Amino acid sequence: MQLRHLWLTDIRSYEFVDLELTSGLCAVLGPNGVGKTNLLEAVAYLALLESFRGAPTDALVRAGADRGIVRGEVTEAGREQLIECELRPNGRNRVLLNRQRLARTSELLGALRVTIFSPDDLQLLKAGPSARRSFLDRLVVSLDPRQDAVRAEYERALRQRNALLKQTRGKLDDAAAMTLEVWDTKLVTAGEQLVARRTEAVSQLLPLVSDAYRDVAGIEHHVHLEYQAPWREDGLAASLQRVREDELRRGVTLVGPHRDDLFVSLEGLPARTHASQGEQRCIALGLRLASHRLVDQTTGAPPVLLLDDVVSELDPERSAALLASLPPGQTLLSSATGLPTGVEADQILEVRPGTIVEV
Amino acid sequence: MATAYAAAVQELIDCLGRLPGVGPKSAQRIAYHLLKVDATEANRLARAITEVKDKVGFCTACFNIAEGELCMVCADTRRDAHVLCVVEEPRDVVAIERTREFKGRYHVLQGAIDHLQGVGPDQLRVRELVRRVGTDEVTEVILCTNPNLEGEATALYLSRLLGDVPGLTVSRIASGLPVGGDLEYADELTLGRALEGRRVVESENKEH
Ligand SMILES: [Zn+2]
Repeated sequence: MQLRHLWLTDIRSYEFVDLELTSGLCAVLGPNGVGKTNLLEAVAYLALLESFRGAPTDALVRAGADRGIVRGEVTEAGREQLIECELRPNGRNRVLLNRQRLARTSELLGALRVTIFSPDDLQLLKAGPSARRSFLDRLVVSLDPRQDAVRAEYERALRQRNALLKQTRGKLDDAAAMTLEVWDTKLVTAGEQLVARRTEAVSQLLPLVSDAYRDVAGIEHHVHLEYQAPWREDGLAASLQRVREDELRRGVTLVGPHRDDLFVSLEGLPARTHASQGEQRCIALGLRLASHRLVDQTTGAPPVLLLDDVVSELDPERSAALLASLPPGQTLLSSATGLPTGVEADQILEVRPGTIVEV
Repeated sequence: MATAYAAAVQELIDCLGRLPGVGPKSAQRIAYHLLKVDATEANRLARAITEVKDKVGFCTACFNIAEGELCMVCADTRRDAHVLCVVEEPRDVVAIERTREFKGRYHVLQGAIDHLQGVGPDQLRVRELVRRVGTDEVTEVILCTNPNLEGEATALYLSRLLGDVPGLTVSRIASGLPVGGDLEYADELTLGRALEGRRVVESENKEH
């Protein structure tokens, strides 16, 4: 899978950018704060339809413009696809695939797949469970784009159920009780499907993650992953029953996949509390690398790899080792300090204020 | 921002902007368009709106669109009063009528359960449905709500609500319709087949 051509109009600091991208390693160089991440963010937008940094649409559109456009030409196994995204801070974003407007944005998923490594990845270990859940959910969708519907169905059922819980204001009459039971049924069905996908992804990732850690850290350590769903033993339906009183009082759904976690341990100890900062960074990179390899194995084509300022986080030897251990495919690597010694880029882009030039 | 338009134009833009699916920009565009077209064309639209509100209301039996007390279907004595097809909106009646497969009558809920929009069973024509099922000679109810989350939840709710009525068969339109879609976008053949392949759901209460 390769992004061959990228056009940006009024995206972040760029008024207009027209880039042809080669296969292999493309280095995106320039001083800090000049907009290297903005370029990678725009590429990722074509795959995720959102900012990988969690930025809202209006932050992505250049100040003063009323819309921004990201266009990309992707080739995979001889097939060319054109993805066009129009971002409107004050309206609905539009997405076109091969000039056809998509009824549902989920129809796009899979046209471009990306794996992103960024300094924020440390949050995978440090932050709360939601970062780990969305890591898993994105992996599930990368493995099979159709599974995005399962997550969407669960999230919608959850929002409906929370709205109902809030509207009951703690008092459940017969009619509301019956409606709540309907949403319980919907939540349970969608929730169990969602968790089946997540646990399957974890079990596929597990055999790859210790090797990935070794490739990044240069040390043999055992990394273990375990999907944690406290409700699973009794089932979601029974668990919802048990917390009903609490839920009515607080007006929010208290158990289910939206509160699950991915537990990570290093050499048998919880990585979140017991691993050093350096080890946590290697685990985060290892998780990304393992998921990248898994998607490559499963889909037969490596996703486009976006390495955002990762080399500055590692010593040169480890950076070079990480790059050497990547499966072949297209890589965009941003760096303020240049490439690690011994690594040759196939293309070098220099980011200057408001523009990007090939050197 | 101060009002940039004459009061009458602003009023028109505001009214248009309250219509479903019309954003502020479209409201402006339509208002300009109406200013430009000749008077007969604009008056025709105004008259159509007045007329529809004067003459057309909802059927007192099934809540479909009706000119007068009863809708076309309810007024037709040849229609089978034993079978009720429950739909979300009047446009779904049109879609099912197009299949020519259904000979019974309808019940229009005027929406689906959607708490995010503040719509629960009380905001729908559910009470009226229960009353009809209890008093009329209804022996079968076919749940034809949309194949999306809210439509499925509404069907599940109704199947539980009506599951205990003695002598009543409750069925759900067969899957095979595009998931997440609306009935009105299904083609006649698919919709006709889905109606024919409906499945009885009255066992729902027993597993409960
Ligand atoms: Zn009627």
